[in-house]
Amino acid sequence: MNQFDKKPIILVIDDEEFMRDSCSQILIRDGYRAETAEDGLVGAAKIQDLKPDLVLVDLKMPGKSGFEVLDKIKDFDPNIISVVITGYATVESAVEAMKKGAYDFIPKPFTPDQLRIIIKRGLERRRLILETESLRREKKLMEENFITMVSHQLRSPLGTIAQYFEVILGGMAGKVEPKQEEMLTKARDRLEKLMELINDWLDLARMNRGQILDRFKPLSIKKVLENIVEFVQPSAQKENIRIQLLPYHGDDGIKGDDETLTQAFSNLITNAIKYNKPGGRVTVSLEEKETSIAVNVEDTGIGIPEEHLPYIFDQFYRVKTKEGKKLKGTGLGLSIAKKIVEAHGGTVRVKSEIGKGSTFTVFLPRTNQEPEKS
Amino acid sequence: MDKAKILVIDDDPDFVDAVTPILQSARYNVISAANPAEGKEKILKEKPDLILLDIMMDSLFDGFSLCHNIKTSKEFEDVHDTPVIFISAVKEMTGTRFQFKGEEQGLIGPDDYIDKPVKPEDLVARIEKLLAK
Repeated sequence: MNQFDKKPIILVIDDEEFMRDSCSQILIRDGYRAETAEDGLVGAAKIQDLKPDLVLVDLKMPGKSGFEVLDKIKDFDPNIISVVITGYATVESAVEAMKKGAYDFIPKPFTPDQLRIIIKRGLERRRLILETESLRREKKLMEENFITMVSHQLRSPLGTIAQYFEVILGGMAGKVEPKQEEMLTKARDRLEKLMELINDWLDLARMNRGQILDRFKPLSIKKVLENIVEFVQPSAQKENIRIQLLPYHGDDGIKGDDETLTQAFSNLITNAIKYNKPGGRVTVSLEEKETSIAVNVEDTGIGIPEEHLPYIFDQFYRVKTKEGKKLKGTGLGLSIAKKIVEAHGGTVRVKSEIGKGSTFTVFLPRTNQEPEKS
Repeated sequence: MDKAKILVIDDDPDFVDAVTPILQSARYNVISAANPAEGKEKILKEKPDLILLDIMMDSLFDGFSLCHNIKTSKEFEDVHDTPVIFISAVKEMTGTRFQFKGEEQGLIGPDDYIDKPVKPEDLVARIEKLLAK
């Protein structure tokens, strides 16, 4: 049962017993759930307990006045419709009540039909507000899930195709001739690359500054790096690359989003492994600067020619090597890293020497620095 | 010991088709279901030894709810201990790519996760490990 098919709850707040009784009788007869309160204080408490759809409130009551009740309603849930009952049809107080957020007013004395019309209109208004709210919520949720959805729709069929390759290559669907195996392996590898590309591209699309900022919390950047280095250790060993994080005892406090930062540094560090020389080294080190913490990721790879350096953070830009060596990445890793670092208020720099290697340095704002003297 | 019975719940019949030979070559009995409702029925009727469960089927996260139910609801009382492995094409359950973290929302998670496409040896190793428990 949702909020639209429940019996609407109407709360009548009036100090006159006769008024409360006659209103309740009319409302109950019309199929509503009617509740009453004899003064503003009880009324305010019942608003919180019952979460009524509509409140009929007398403006002139001893103690907590009708105006105070209106304020209370606005604070508690502005979507509750309030209708004020005005004693002597004083237009001024009705106008003031409307300014305070009342939806409508009904002057005493009134007939049952007059009450019915106002209640009906008020509830209709309430229904529209709630529907709009729930549509807005749904839309927001859909937007949030959109990337996950797209990711799923794109990856699912590819995953199934890849699964067939795995089974055939695993010899589980009959004997595979060497030539067939070679071709199927190539097909599978290309497919894997395509899936990687989709992931990277979706990451880039998903990454927006606002979302990253929302997830900021105090972090130890050293801890983030330790985890990554440990995680990539096996793949570095496979490529015969030595990777180490130099000891550091300086300040390592930053504010950031663990997940995206992990991704940014993973991209830099896996690049340093991928584009290294066999038997090479990757050295990750930290440095405390005046207002920032610098993270250096240094490799002993082939280096990047100077003319390429301005473009390496561009999407899909890739440095072509003379040997025509097979390209390993998707061309998005560095753009993703840069985007994340910039969302953290940081910068990335690169230095490179052909034949010797490259160093990527990320500067992230320190949170523990001395407050600026002014 | 009897051959273990594995239930694959996935809405992609081709994926079921492709993963079945892997399980059969490891000498498991394979049964399958194409949606959460059919999955539920087969779990109760067939009492599989292990369940491979796709996370996203009819809706985004119905794999999560089914898993939670298997582990906690009265309906599945007799089969609470059946190991569940999540299979999903949405990569990276631990890292950045997965928006929804079932456990954080108070849902009981699976015994293991594996990404599509599954590597045959990897899948069989994970199954063996859970069955040995």
